[in-house]
Amino acid sequence: MTLEQTEPGMQEIKPASFMSLIATLKPVSTSRLSTFPSQLIDMLPVVVVHGGAGHIPKERSELSTSGVTSAVRAGYAVLRGGGSSMDAVVEAVTYLENNPAFNAGCGSVLNVKGDVEMDAFVMEGKTLGSGAVSAVRNIANPIQLARLVMDKTSHLCLTAEGAKQFARSMGVPEVPQESLITEYSRMRWRKNLAPDANPVECQMGKMGTVGAVAVDSQGNVACATSTGGILNKMEGRVGDTPCIGCGGYADNMVGAVSTTGHGEAIMKVVLAKHILYQMEQGQSVEAASDLGLACMKFRAAGLGGVITVDPQGHWAARFSSRQMAWAAAQKDTLHYGLYEGENFTQSIDVQH
Amino acid sequence: MAESSSPGMKREDPDRNSKMSAVVVVHGGAWAIPDQLAEASVDGVKAAACEGSSVLKRGGSALDAVEAAVRALEDNPAFNAGHGATLNADGEVELDAIIMDGRTLASGAVSSVKNIANPVSLARAVMEKTAHVMLTSRGANLFAESIGVVTVPPDTLLTEYEKKEWEKHKTYVTGVDEDFNTQWAHDTVGAVAVDRAGNVACATSTGGIRNKMVGRVGDSPVIGAGGYADNLSGAVSCTGHGESILKVTLARLILSHVERGKSVADSSQLSLQYMADRVRGAGGSIVVSPSGQWAATFTTDRMAWAAVDQDVLCSLPAPRGQWAIRRLLT
Repeated sequence: MTLEQTEPGMQEIKPASFMSLIATLKPVSTSRLSTFPSQLIDMLPVVVVHGGAGHIPKERSELSTSGVTSAVRAGYAVLRGGGSSMDAVVEAVTYLENNPAFNAGCGSVLNVKGDVEMDAFVMEGKTLGSGAVSAVRNIANPIQLARLVMDKTSHLCLTAEGAKQFARSMGVPEVPQESLITEYSRMRWRKNLAPDANPVECQMGKMGTVGAVAVDSQGNVACATSTGGILNKMEGRVGDTPCIGCGGYADNMVGAVSTTGHGEAIMKVVLAKHILYQMEQGQSVEAASDLGLACMKFRAAGLGGVITVDPQGHWAARFSSRQMAWAAAQKDTLHYGLYEGENFTQSIDVQH
Repeated sequence: MAESSSPGMKREDPDRNSKMSAVVVVHGGAWAIPDQLAEASVDGVKAAACEGSSVLKRGGSALDAVEAAVRALEDNPAFNAGHGATLNADGEVELDAIIMDGRTLASGAVSSVKNIANPVSLARAVMEKTAHVMLTSRGANLFAESIGVVTVPPDTLLTEYEKKEWEKHKTYVTGVDEDFNTQWAHDTVGAVAVDRAGNVACATSTGGIRNKMVGRVGDSPVIGAGGYADNLSGAVSCTGHGESILKVTLARLILSHVERGKSVADSSQLSLQYMADRVRGAGGSIVVSPSGQWAATFTTDRMAWAAVDQDVLCSLPAPRGQWAIRRLLT
């Protein structure tokens, strides 16, 4: 479906959908793909990650790019070692949560009271099993707690104090809130306490919800999404991330999606599920992603980004915001980009 | 976007289009309703549908109608929402609710909120008075306080019946692990409506599953699962096994079939069947389309439901004559 299957020297020029036609015809490339018949190499496994859609300040763009590429390497290593797609997305998102450059785990934005409350979601496509936590505090890796909700309870979502109690019962260590707060997040919180501040606008500076999607060599898909939410949000605000179908969805019959962007708009159109409906109707991963983002812009006036895979290993990283830090790994090749049309590639074994 | 605006045009049953009618449909939960509760349940949904319908007759919006209908169900101790809600593992009431306006896709939700008599109205306040879509737990209670919503003492919401049932079942440590179709399951309430302007809305409210873990959030407050409303396709409120409804995002699934030209009844049937096949979950749904088609469908033993289909050409205020009440046993 992508041109690289027939012309191995070119990488990821995506089939023309009505919106992506022009956009994708200008990939900046450092391709080192061999001219060997790469179409013979299996498309699986594959993992794609994002570090949030928005406009990332120039001085922080390098941090974002190195963050998503190291996360995707970690996820890909799990897959190459025979791990499941679920293991891979949790590993990749754990990396991003631990990286203070992103709005998830350590580095999360602060709510209006100056506290960190995080949301996370995982889903695996074989059984439609999923787990989520919302407004949880004092947890270093909410994504791992979401997975425990999936694996160890008969519920799908635990919130706030109940999620914390569950963490305690599972022996998940509580961390002091200070360990999740960076100077940068505190500075931005303070700046947006002024009565004339516009946190939603400022949020675009570093939206930074993180996520991952993957397909393992068995063809099982999975997704994971984690966030600190919106800058200076009300206490107890829950965004799209932990809501199934909004922040993510995974179904072996169709594919997997993780979303980022204006959470309230993502919820209005149930974005992840919307994209998978388009794929069920025969759209490619790119076209479906673009259709979903266009619907969100049109009907909910919101911008964002998505990463999408199908069970065959086709993947897409698409966004309607100015930027989205993303990276993908497939066929031992690392792909990454930040601005529209970018798709840099290098061998996965060469350190960035 | 062609694909998102066109589906609403493909309406079934063209003769409905010429006479826009206002309809309200309510449900009181899909489960194995025991005989001793069946009558109270049916009376309750009738009264709630009447409540919603009278709002529409006075010229109120679909949004006003679903809120009024669900408030009536929350106030009625026969249902698992507001007053009469089930208790969690710690013996506390934690409530979830959502409301959604099909005109703008705006919605509001609360999850795991305590000591609030009418969570659906708090959900509406989240929609109208905040920049957010969902507030949870203590944050939702703080918001309630800040806008002057009265906090009620915990015992107010607790019924004798629920206290007894909870005592009886708290020994089942793995209670919620069992198959859904057992006698003790007890469920959610909801309403959908279309007003004369063709605007649709939905609302869903619940106390969740008895003996649930503290902080468990089910399908009800999750947009696309417990409810969804879009003027281009219709409005849905769901009930049943929450975790299954979430897995298939049931409300959105039903409307995706409607968008592809299926009738509201077929869409509900197909989606509930899919939920049974794919994740072995049982439940029910109520649906209205912008043209006034409606359906109440379920795969559980029983679902208490009622609809008031008030045709605009027949505006006689016949208080009981317009009832369309049936109880179906599958």
